[in-house]
Amino acid sequence: MSKIIVVTSGKGGVGKTTTSAAISAGLAKRGHKTVVIDFDVGLRNLDMIMGCERRVVFDFINVIQGDAKLKQALIRDKRLDNLAVLPTSQTRDKDALTQEGVEAVLNELKEEFDYIICDSPAGIERGALMAMYYADEAIVVTNPEVSSVRDSDRVLGLLQSKTHRAEEEGAEPIKAQVLITRHDQARIDKGEMMTVEDVLEILAVPLLGIIPESPAVLRASNMGVPVVLDDPSAAASAYEDAVARLVGEQVEMKIGGERRPGLISRLFGLTA
Amino acid sequence: MPSNDTKDRGARAAADIRPFQIRGRFFTAVSLRPESEQQDESFFEALDDQLRQTPQFFANAPLILDLEQVPGLNGTEVLRRMVETLKQRNLAPFGVQNASGEQVRAASDLGLINITTGQDAPLKAERRQKAIKAVRQTPAKTKTITLPVRSGQTVIADEGDLIVIGPVSSGAELIAAGNIHVYGPLRGRAMAGAHGDETARVFCTRLEAELLAIAGLYRTSESLAPEYGLQNVQAFLKNERLCVETLG
Repeated sequence: MSKIIVVTSGKGGVGKTTTSAAISAGLAKRGHKTVVIDFDVGLRNLDMIMGCERRVVFDFINVIQGDAKLKQALIRDKRLDNLAVLPTSQTRDKDALTQEGVEAVLNELKEEFDYIICDSPAGIERGALMAMYYADEAIVVTNPEVSSVRDSDRVLGLLQSKTHRAEEEGAEPIKAQVLITRHDQARIDKGEMMTVEDVLEILAVPLLGIIPESPAVLRASNMGVPVVLDDPSAAASAYEDAVARLVGEQVEMKIGGERRPGLISRLFGLTA
Repeated sequence: MPSNDTKDRGARAAADIRPFQIRGRFFTAVSLRPESEQQDESFFEALDDQLRQTPQFFANAPLILDLEQVPGLNGTEVLRRMVETLKQRNLAPFGVQNASGEQVRAASDLGLINITTGQDAPLKAERRQKAIKAVRQTPAKTKTITLPVRSGQTVIADEGDLIVIGPVSSGAELIAAGNIHVYGPLRGRAMAGAHGDETARVFCTRLEAELLAIAGLYRTSESLAPEYGLQNVQAFLKNERLCVETLG
């Protein structure tokens, strides 16, 4: 039984695409057949983060409009053979997404893949609504700061009201979990950022993981490597823990950089 | 007697000047409202039937002709015939209502006054009473929400109270005709007594609200005294002021 998981946040720039890439690579690394879809039509980024931008011929929109077959548009990852990317169009906009088209593509993907990761665009408009509509689970990416948390709260409201599972009589609601990214203990201690407890108190959903602020994330993005496939880092190990929790394992929650970020990061790197 | 003289001077002075008194009087008149411009035998036969059923009620009853449905019924002669026929039946037509300009002129030729005000007041009052009864018969509906109310969501209890079990995020709105109860932190806006009920109240187990309002009177977080923050409180109206008070 395959699962559709949407990675969403409301606010832009909090790490949705980075998280989509890391989570999908992490799932594939564990042996699950995984595909990651870019819903950010017009602002094609996922293929760059995944390092396959030079192999894009057909895209998600071509498939929706029947101009290409799904097999032609799917890009198989060169590092992990059970990972695929469905890139989006850079020339079209969100209106090209139709509910029937998205449903048809997702149904076809379900036949092959165990996990379908939908990388949502920022905002709460059509693109974001289409990305979350058919989801079974949601990963809500949040930075520990007030505007990001408020936007995540808004998105949680949409997940519980504007999705297929919300509209269908008797269906289980979407299982939503929050992933806190760019966590910086030093700034939290100085009172510049919200604590994990504050964030969870407001959002009132389970915590999937805490990803520390790390230069490794930006470096991996620029090199087109999902952070979990790059050199060991605190962020990579935190993503791997999050993936383990996503598939149902009990993993103790670690807060990266509790005292000395350098030391803890190195320790995490060793245990990863 | 001199003492009486001084006492009654005012009253007698007025009486001396005017040999009459003017008093306002209310009385009931019957209104006859022809619905067809055809004033033939069948019209008067139907009228006679009606008069026979309750002869006392109509005997010499002051009567107004309501001409709303018959704008074509004008001309002094037509109206004169109508008035004559009514007088023969012991009715006392004295005025017209809802008359057009031409009808007013014809009526004044016949000595009928034009009455511009007057409504079917008793009938309306009866209807209003019925409506109130109907509302009282159905119990006020309470709406209960057991999920967190998220930013951007609005929950409306249009008829009764609103109960939320869970947090209400900042940017969320609660609106109720009656009271609002929040069992959890209230960080959004709560508007009780939305239809003007000044006895409505807001209760919450942790006050962090952006805005509290009762029957349109509101306070924002800035003007809510900080000592009530994070506490179990109720808000209510007293002397047209929104008061907040901690609950034990």
